[in-house]
Amino acid sequence: MSLFLIVALPFLGAVFPALLIRAGRNACAWSAGVTSALAFVGLMINLPAVLRGEAVTARLDWLPWLGLNANFFLDGLGFLFAALILGIGLLIILYARFYLSREDPMGQFYTYLLLFQGAMVGIVLSDNILLLLVFWELTSLSSFLLIGYWKHLPEGRQGARMALAVTGSGGLAMIAGMLILGHIVGSYDLSVILQNKELIQASPLYLPALILILLGCFTKSAQFPFHFWLPHAMAAPTPVSAYLHSATMVKAGLFLLARMWPVLAGTPEWFYIVATTGLITMLLGAVIALFKDDLKALLAFSTVSHLGLITMLLGFGTEIAAIAAIFHIINHATFKAALFMSAGIIDHETGTRDIKRLGGLRHLMPVTFTIALIASLSMAGLPPLNGFLSKEMMLEETVHTVWGHSHLLVPGLALLAALFSAAYSFRYIAHVFLGPKRSDYPSPPHDPPVGLWLAPAFLVVLVVTIGLNAQAMVGPLVKVAASAVTGGELPYFKLKLWHGFNTALLMSTVATIGGLILLIMHGGLERVWNAMPRPEAKTIFDTVIGTLTQVSRVITDTLHNGAISRYAMIFVVFTLAIASYAYFTGTMELPTRDVQDAPLLPIVAWFCLISATAMLTFLHRNRQLALVLIGVVGLIVSLSFNFLSAPDLAMTQISVEVVSIILLLLCLNFLPKTTPVDSSLTIRLRDAVIAGVAGVGSAALIYAVMIRDFSFPTISEFHLANSYKGGGGTNVVNVILVDFRGFDTFGEIIVLGIAALVIFALTEAVLASNVRAYLLNRKPEWPQSGDAHPLMMVVVTRVMMPIALMVAAYIFFRGHNLPGGGFIAGLVAAIAFVMQYMASGFTWAAERQRIFYHGVIGSGVLIAAATGMGAWFNGLPFLTSAFGYVHLTPLKEFELATAALFDLGVFLAVLGAVMLALESLSRFAWQPGMVTEHAMDINPKRDDPPDPNTDQPASEGEA
Amino acid sequence: MIQADLTVILPEIVLSIYAMAALIGAVYTRKDGLGPLLVWSTAGLMAVLAIWIASQPNVTQVAFNGMFINDGFARFAKVAVLLSAAVILVMSQDYMSRRGLLRFEYPLLIALAAVGMMMMVSAGDLMSLYMGLELQSLALYVVAALRRDSAKSTEAGLKYFVLGALSSGLLLYGASLVYGFSGTTLFTGIIQTATHGEMSLGMLFGLIFLISGLAFKVSAVPFHMWTPDVYEGSPTPITAFFATAPKVAAMALFARVMHDAFGAAVSDWQQVIVLLSVLSMFLGGIAAIGQRNIKRLMAFSSIAHMGYGLIGLAAGTEMGIKAMLMYLAIYVTMNVGTFAFILMMERDGQPVTDIDALRQYSRREPAKALAVMILMFSLAGVPPMLGFFAKFGVWQAGISADLFGLVVASAIASVIGAFYYLRIVFYMYFGAENEDQLDTNSSPVLWGALMASAALMIVGVFYQFGVEGAAAAAAATLVN
Repeated sequence: MSLFLIVALPFLGAVFPALLIRAGRNACAWSAGVTSALAFVGLMINLPAVLRGEAVTARLDWLPWLGLNANFFLDGLGFLFAALILGIGLLIILYARFYLSREDPMGQFYTYLLLFQGAMVGIVLSDNILLLLVFWELTSLSSFLLIGYWKHLPEGRQGARMALAVTGSGGLAMIAGMLILGHIVGSYDLSVILQNKELIQASPLYLPALILILLGCFTKSAQFPFHFWLPHAMAAPTPVSAYLHSATMVKAGLFLLARMWPVLAGTPEWFYIVATTGLITMLLGAVIALFKDDLKALLAFSTVSHLGLITMLLGFGTEIAAIAAIFHIINHATFKAALFMSAGIIDHETGTRDIKRLGGLRHLMPVTFTIALIASLSMAGLPPLNGFLSKEMMLEETVHTVWGHSHLLVPGLALLAALFSAAYSFRYIAHVFLGPKRSDYPSPPHDPPVGLWLAPAFLVVLVVTIGLNAQAMVGPLVKVAASAVTGGELPYFKLKLWHGFNTALLMSTVATIGGLILLIMHGGLERVWNAMPRPEAKTIFDTVIGTLTQVSRVITDTLHNGAISRYAMIFVVFTLAIASYAYFTGTMELPTRDVQDAPLLPIVAWFCLISATAMLTFLHRNRQLALVLIGVVGLIVSLSFNFLSAPDLAMTQISVEVVSIILLLLCLNFLPKTTPVDSSLTIRLRDAVIAGVAGVGSAALIYAVMIRDFSFPTISEFHLANSYKGGGGTNVVNVILVDFRGFDTFGEIIVLGIAALVIFALTEAVLASNVRAYLLNRKPEWPQSGDAHPLMMVVVTRVMMPIALMVAAYIFFRGHNLPGGGFIAGLVAAIAFVMQYMASGFTWAAERQRIFYHGVIGSGVLIAAATGMGAWFNGLPFLTSAFGYVHLTPLKEFELATAALFDLGVFLAVLGAVMLALESLSRFAWQPGMVTEHAMDINPKRDDPPDPNTDQPASEGEA
Repeated sequence: MIQADLTVILPEIVLSIYAMAALIGAVYTRKDGLGPLLVWSTAGLMAVLAIWIASQPNVTQVAFNGMFINDGFARFAKVAVLLSAAVILVMSQDYMSRRGLLRFEYPLLIALAAVGMMMMVSAGDLMSLYMGLELQSLALYVVAALRRDSAKSTEAGLKYFVLGALSSGLLLYGASLVYGFSGTTLFTGIIQTATHGEMSLGMLFGLIFLISGLAFKVSAVPFHMWTPDVYEGSPTPITAFFATAPKVAAMALFARVMHDAFGAAVSDWQQVIVLLSVLSMFLGGIAAIGQRNIKRLMAFSSIAHMGYGLIGLAAGTEMGIKAMLMYLAIYVTMNVGTFAFILMMERDGQPVTDIDALRQYSRREPAKALAVMILMFSLAGVPPMLGFFAKFGVWQAGISADLFGLVVASAIASVIGAFYYLRIVFYMYFGAENEDQLDTNSSPVLWGALMASAALMIVGVFYQFGVEGAAAAAAATLVN
């Protein structure tokens, strides 16, 4: 049968139990059993080929871009594991049918079980490490569902969570390891990787890959220090424990160790990490198991111990040790599954798993007793059972193993572990079955129905027959499996009971006798054990999780306290950090330009600029002062443009400055005089340092830019060369605005107009809402000036108006060739009008307004558009400019360019937009009683003494 | 000339004209009454545009003297952006309508943001980059504060705006430095200055500031600070939008700038990206553990996911870009499903965001709980869900670029991250019984999105609907 089908069968079969549950529990169990049996038969068909030493393969490209192929191969090792998984799976299906009660949703159980089975078969048959990973994590998931199957038990949920957390995390670490391994070899196919031992072991990445892969194996196989999850997973129903935690899932880690043995084993790193971990786990598990009163906990820790044993054997890295490991995997699966099932029977029939409440069951449950007796004697390692054989081989191997420089360490500790192992095995018999009958069993014990004891009985038969005739029963299988592990020829070996008197036999005898002594002393030892402080894995796990959560909260709360200033600080500090890293690791190339001499004037201006900025940061809480200082900064910037021969820029800048300061002045009307203090002095000092460093840094960078040439010729040269030829003007800035980039300017004036209209619309909307009431009833915080419209101001603005308009016209007309242009002219004209509003008040000025600003904006845009379209009549694209020279007496010859018309559009749009925006905003300040028809007037209340009752500043609540 | 240019940007023009025309049309007609209609028509138009763009021949078109590039890479990102935006719009209609949030501007702002994103991924010049970025950002600032009567939403919008302005400032500063040292804003010009030998230190500074600005947009740590607050404060459909389309666009833009403009100096930016990536993965993972609010949790989750995506970028190879694109496509799919579920989380018609509300959810809604479980496993990157292959792809790219430390760190981070995704599953399946139960009704659109997304997490493992091939082609056009 194709390997694909063998892997797919359990997955396909998983559908049936869920669907058939309505047809009854038997149908459910049968459907699960039949699919498992089919897969098992399919596997057995391949047995002859495997025994011949051939590897059966099946290949299919799946996601080639990831290197993930659905490749399967079946060799001795894979066969052994697949047979265990499917074979024991069948027995578990039988057992579970009788074990689960009517209330348990059986369909779900079998579905999960088959999913798990399929995933396990997938692991052992994968020929692609990515595929293996997929199945690996799938076992974690399905085991999560199985362990948490009894949802009503809180410990079941806890156990499921812990198992998933530990094995899932290990699996993710393993992914990284596998990736590195695949990178070293250049392929993710196991069959290729296994051929490249030298390449892998010579690679500097060998150790990281090894550690990561081992993390996956150790977590899965519950090796120290990850052993703690396994006992807690025991809250699962017993069939699950028997299947997952004795025979299959926990062996997945061992499988992978064995699978990777040919390429990873044989180095000192491998020996010290793997063998030592195995040894510690073996001893620790055995000692703890002795003192557990819960039957399943005892078995769980004994499983931990035996897994440690196998890990240790694989860690030795010798061929014989590998044979022993393989052999023990078979033996452990048989006797431990039988023991788990017997524990389940006891739990099922007596209603308790607590050893302290049991005893004397041998006459009440004879069949169970027989099964448990044989299985646990095998676990203790007594002849002629199979456990004895593999334990002998293990002890024999330890004798030949040197750890560090010590010849005694490994055999000594192994002997100790064997001793404890014998002790807990005996205890399982003595304290449960032997002794006097009790009168207080939770429910009257009796032997279970045949269905429940059939499966363990079958396993026990195997235990005996393998023990008696190992070579014939499993010899060839062990041989092909072990040769798959070692990846080559094996030394001669024969599995047999009697090896003659040797050290191993002596050690076995000591262990058995010692075990009996320990059992006798158990009562006393237990008191000592209970009095001893010892780390409780669950508490540690919970503490770790709790601490992590706490740490995460602290991190989150410190970083994300919601304050925008903190966010900005982190932002800036980090940027500074990487910038300074770049600075200290790189070298700046030499400057290509000379630094110009600095005359006194710009130095003074620079000093003013810096001090105004610095003062601004200190005095910014007073809004009015801040505004003044911003004005100073803007002024100096404009002047410096002028000084650096950019008069156009200077004019634009200064007009924008004036307009925006006027806007801000309007806003001051509505704001409190000062801003609140919301940070302490230390924080402000810290921020000052950060801001200072950032400021100096960015200034330094700009300086660095300015003393170097561009890599490419600058665009300015193109414009300087073409401005007169192409645009008919010598003022490059203006030519750019109205000609070269006329399209942009056209867009910009539209945007400007829209912005002003939006401000107007928003004002309308706001003044129509309930904000209006607040605005109308607003009381100024401090007494207003008596002179609402002071004489001096009015006179000056009236005089200024024609002059300003004249200047605007002048600037407009000279624009094309000299500094100036429509944009600046528009701003200047706007200032001329705005001054009238400021001097005589909104109402007075509005009465004298003849043209609506909307119309001004619109006509500006239309003129510009019409100019642009004019080019179409000449058969040229939109906005192509034309210019010519006109001679009109008595004027001198002058130039006429269509660009000037376009500039007119710009002028009107700018003027209209600024005026509309300012007019809209000033309407916020309007209050009843402010209407005046006079150009200048005096507030009649100015001589009234301030009345404490009425002139109080508006309280915070009202604001 | 101009006609040829306009043909190249025709999809963008169509979408923006539609948005503006609809805006004006709605003002003069039924205003908010048109909301649902506009949502569907915008989504429909986006889907049509996505199909149009996807079916364009695989050639590189350049418009406006290199400022706009329409190549395979841009098309891939545009299709992802448009489709995810369309799906989120459709998903949001019911939610927004019932809460009176469905103003007619909402779908149109999303459309304008989409135009900005399409601009971003096609940018071939620092100017067009900035233009696209700002168009997108401005639209997003507004939608973040769409619920004007909620202090949280307003705060979210304000924070996003202020920090966004700061990041734009940094980006512009970087752009000016780059211009200052190279004398050009065209990517094709900038890359030449770098190949003259090594990239000069000045350019490196420009690059760093550019990266800082871009990192803000992809919300990579430590420029992520806005993310949790904005995700939490915005209405949920808008959070869903934030978590999907803009992330794709920003990552694509990031890749575009790094490869097109600085592709000759991979080692210079690689270290910075690696740092951002590691920080994002770890902070995203660790900080999410403490979250009880599922929207904040998803914010940190998206931060972490961007960290994984950045691994692909850090690799600096064609393989890396391909892995990154696949990662983004899968990430968006997962997030659409997850947010469809979050949108369904209601109690008595009121939205619920506390994850405690999910306790024992599986008992009442087994199908939805199963779908969410699949999505959570996929987000955690557990095989065999599609999310694992996304992660795996970037790891593979990282390994092949010799970034072993990064990949191992990322594996560790994904372990941390798995914790909080699995906690949601744990609550749904094994959580202690909860008195306050979620409503069980759900709109068919949301239900469909959730189920489809969950199904894709499984089906995608076997068949990728040609996305993989498109990503490969896209990566090839960008890196070569």
